[in-house]
Amino acid sequence: MTPTISVTQLSRRYRDQAALDNVSLAVEPGTVTGLLGRNGAGKTTLLRIITGLEFPSTGEVKVFGAAPAENEAVLRRMVFVREEQAYPDFRVGHAIRVASWFYPNWSAELAEQLLADFELPLGRRMRRLSRGMRSAVGIVIGLAARAELTLFDEPYAGLDAVARQLFYDRLLADFAEHPRTIVLSTHLIDEVADLLEHIVMLDHGRVALDAPADEIRGTGMTVSGPAIAVEEFVAGRPVWHRQRIASRASAVVPGPLDATAQARARALHLSLEPLSLQQLLVHASGTAEEKVSA
Amino acid sequence: MKTLVNVARYHLVDRITYVALPWGILAFSFLINVAIAAMAPNQPLGGIKTGGLVSIYVFLLVCGVVSMTRELPFGLMLGVSRRGYYLGTALLVLALGIAYGLALTVLQVLERASGGWGFSLHYFRVPWIMDGPWYQTWVTSFVLLVLFFLYGMWYGLAYRRWGLLGLATFVVAQMLVALAVVAVVTLTHHWTAFGHFFTTVQAPALTGVLAALTLALGLGGFTTMRRVTV
Repeated sequence: MTPTISVTQLSRRYRDQAALDNVSLAVEPGTVTGLLGRNGAGKTTLLRIITGLEFPSTGEVKVFGAAPAENEAVLRRMVFVREEQAYPDFRVGHAIRVASWFYPNWSAELAEQLLADFELPLGRRMRRLSRGMRSAVGIVIGLAARAELTLFDEPYAGLDAVARQLFYDRLLADFAEHPRTIVLSTHLIDEVADLLEHIVMLDHGRVALDAPADEIRGTGMTVSGPAIAVEEFVAGRPVWHRQRIASRASAVVPGPLDATAQARARALHLSLEPLSLQQLLVHASGTAEEKVSA
Repeated sequence: MKTLVNVARYHLVDRITYVALPWGILAFSFLINVAIAAMAPNQPLGGIKTGGLVSIYVFLLVCGVVSMTRELPFGLMLGVSRRGYYLGTALLVLALGIAYGLALTVLQVLERASGGWGFSLHYFRVPWIMDGPWYQTWVTSFVLLVLFFLYGMWYGLAYRRWGLLGLATFVVAQMLVALAVVAVVTLTHHWTAFGHFFTTVQAPALTGVLAALTLALGLGGFTTMRRVTV
């Protein structure tokens, strides 16, 4: 099966700075991929090249098997919801109406429901909306478009926790009924951790990690308990991170731990806890010497 | 074609920019001129001539800028290529040029029939270039409306593509082109012929020259559009 997105040795340089440096990856159809990384890691540049808004310096991008730039046969099959999308000076209702003309799979029903969910005033001018409400307009368009490839780039600037949860719920519900390929770029890793099937992490324009989410979960464990017992347990193991408060200590070690190691930890009265995705990625993003090797 | 029509509809979804504002401004300028004409103690020979009509053309230039700056990012979010966006906007320009050109022609006919709205006002009649038969006025208005709009589009695109510095370069480049024309005419001692052309040219021929310029502006904008990023 052709991957929905395939990126081969893609680089994008802006003057002396490399925003993307030899990036290769593939996104399979029907999956939810998390595109993670710190500010300036190259996430937005990558998504802009995938959607044909920006041009590569070198390398190749294919979407649905063809180059996306200036290719309307490809472009109309995807929707890209951007952080801080700029809108003309018109009303919320206008934005929704215009979007309905362009997306072949547009669902007016879903749009209406989402507009009500987010309590968006149709007659309000876009520039009079709060940041969160403007983000909500983008989310409504992104979901109601039901595009085969749906890309979200930090879509919830200014949205509160309730509205974000609403977004995740609606995304999952509609995804279940109308499967599509979704790429979600975000900083709020733990919030979306359960949604993601695949994870791509960028770091300084390079792919730092590209693996199924299930493989990544459990690749790091926090061992905590009396400092002496922790030291005894981690002796001879690589340690990503160490912390000590008085007589208690904790250490982060690569997982998963086998049965022998687990039994040993129990014997030493240590508690074992898998690292959350967010913590794992913090370790993977170059602060630790050893990287997650997945 | 459907995409191009949709792009044109996108611009018109809020009719303020492309319909209400140009005509509102023109109406305002016209009423001011009528008021002045009505208060003038004695009419000059040949009626009162004003340059107020230029306001609609200038505003169409502004529309062109807006179409390629403020309206571009959302337009390109909608699965439209740059080519599609430019051509769809050009389609809107042609449609507006035809419709607004016709409206200006009708107003000119009315102005002539009413003796300059009763005050010998020449608002929709511009001596020489737009004072001929109705069809000539329609064609010339159309060409000028499209010319100003496309020119504005090119400015907007130059700004989007190269930023403020690029925009300044763009203006300087145009001045250099003008300077080059002047230099060529001077060095080849053709000022007499140059002056002769503009004093003897008939309005239709001038419209033809303007149409050629319009085409050049359109091509320039289209070329600039090809590598614009948002």
